Amino acid sequence: MPTEIFSVLLLVALALIFARILGYLFDRLKQPAVVGEIIAGIFLGGVVLAVFSGQILVFYDYKLSLPQLDFTSNEFVLLAEIGILFLLFISGLETRISKLKKMGRTSSFVAVGGIMFPLAFGVFSGLSFGFSSQESIVIGLILVATSVGVTVRTLMDLHVLDTDVGTTVLGGAVIDDILGIILLAFVLGIESLMDAVWISVRIAVFFLIFLILGLRIIDKILDLGERIHLPKAFLSIALSILLIYSFFADRAGISGIIGAFIAGILIGQTVRSHKIANDVKTVGYGFFIPLFFVWVGASLWENAGDDPLSLAVIGVFSAVIIIVGIAGKIIGCGIGAKLAGMNSRESLQIGVGMIPRMELALIIVAAAISHEILTGEAAHQILVTTVLLTIVTALVAPFLIKATFKHS
Amino acid sequence: MVKGKKLISDFYELRVNQLMDKRVWDLPLVEEKEDVHHVLSILGGRNHIWVVKDKEGKELVGVITEHDVLSVLAPKNFPSYVFGMPDISSIKHGTAKTAEDVMCHKIIDCKPDDKILDALTKMVKYELRRLPVVSDKKLVGELTLHQLIRKYYAATQYHPMVEDEEG
Repeated sequence: MPTEIFSVLLLVALALIFARILGYLFDRLKQPAVVGEIIAGIFLGGVVLAVFSGQILVFYDYKLSLPQLDFTSNEFVLLAEIGILFLLFISGLETRISKLKKMGRTSSFVAVGGIMFPLAFGVFSGLSFGFSSQESIVIGLILVATSVGVTVRTLMDLHVLDTDVGTTVLGGAVIDDILGIILLAFVLGIESLMDAVWISVRIAVFFLIFLILGLRIIDKILDLGERIHLPKAFLSIALSILLIYSFFADRAGISGIIGAFIAGILIGQTVRSHKIANDVKTVGYGFFIPLFFVWVGASLWENAGDDPLSLAVIGVFSAVIIIVGIAGKIIGCGIGAKLAGMNSRESLQIGVGMIPRMELALIIVAAAISHEILTGEAAHQILVTTVLLTIVTALVAPFLIKATFKHS
Repeated sequence: MVKGKKLISDFYELRVNQLMDKRVWDLPLVEEKEDVHHVLSILGGRNHIWVVKDKEGKELVGVITEHDVLSVLAPKNFPSYVFGMPDISSIKHGTAKTAEDVMCHKIIDCKPDDKILDALTKMVKYELRRLPVVSDKKLVGELTLHQLIRKYYAATQYHPMVEDEEG
């Protein structure tokens, strides 16, 4: 009687409840809520599923048979993937091209330094631990994107947002997010050097058609959306644009998330965007995005071997990646800042400010897994490493940032 | 009520430049590099300020309303998901220094020869009470809901809708 599709409902409800409760607790502890949501996923995927999945609960005469709870079911994964699209769409909506242009030289230097060093370090570590070259590139890419959220909050607590260091770090973080997304498009499609050329062509064509054409006609399409006098019809049109862009980006072989990001940027430039930004956030933050983070947490149990040796390998590898990730940003961004003419102390502060990794690192792993670049044990190892990297850097960075500012 | 119907459809057909406030010299104007405290001092008495590139050319680049100032005056409280480019301008953190940092860049405007009907529709659509009247990017006046209400009411009292040119 109970249909299969409906068994996912219980799962989604549990995911949302736990994500929000743990997220709130972390927020109260002045830690990023995302970490709490991932931990909710780890908890649900491990403990709760093992105990309750497929059980029959009996209260007196009333029998309740719980369905097989499975976070890797197609239905749940689809919702989580839509969560990724929403994250990038919102990110695009909030990106102001005019502000990007003003970011200036220092931020670009910092961003480029902060991409090159961690990328190289990550690839090198991956290779020396015996991962394939493609897997190693993904590992490098995971170390690229800085999470603005953690840094902004810390800089704000220290009252240094308006200093040169503050603006440079924010600018750098935004730029390396965008460059990270573009690099991801390459990595997802590349299998050989010939591919690299082919992929560049496809990306160029995609950008040309969807960005330039989009800038011309999107306003008109949105205009149509506004003329439909039904509640929130405008939101529906905007979301359809998001989904269509993702679909075609995926078909062009450059990953749906890039389409989502471009759709966000395009709609964000139009006058009408402030009407829907809040609605999009309501849907995204309220429903789909927490599911993505829970799914990341729950996926940690997938392909998990329980022999101590493989656990030890993961432990050592994660430790290496975390150290390399922290060092890469300090060195890369530090050198970038120094080259742009900042003094040593400021360069160090900038390097440290760029340490946190969060959303984009997780998105990159998730995308690599769903594109089957990472499979089997490697997928598990890299996912665990990434989750540990995000949690550790997000927790450690504020202390390091505070320490570097204390002396000045 | 038949008369009201006739009156309102005549009212809709009027042009923006027949009802707008043309006294540009009297409008609240600041240049985009103006200090934020000057903005605050004007907003103490006015509901909004038009931001222009420079006072000579009067090229309109933004608008500041009380609500924009609220978001920089109140303490910033970032949600813990911040992804993309967060809005960090705030008086407390010293990141709102000039009019440019506070203003809203996306302006909904109208042209002098637009119909009043279109202007009203825009006000409804974007929940605005005032529209800048712009011709060739240059601010030439403003149209407020206040004026429109006043003019329409006056018309129902048998006053002419359009004042003589010297009005």
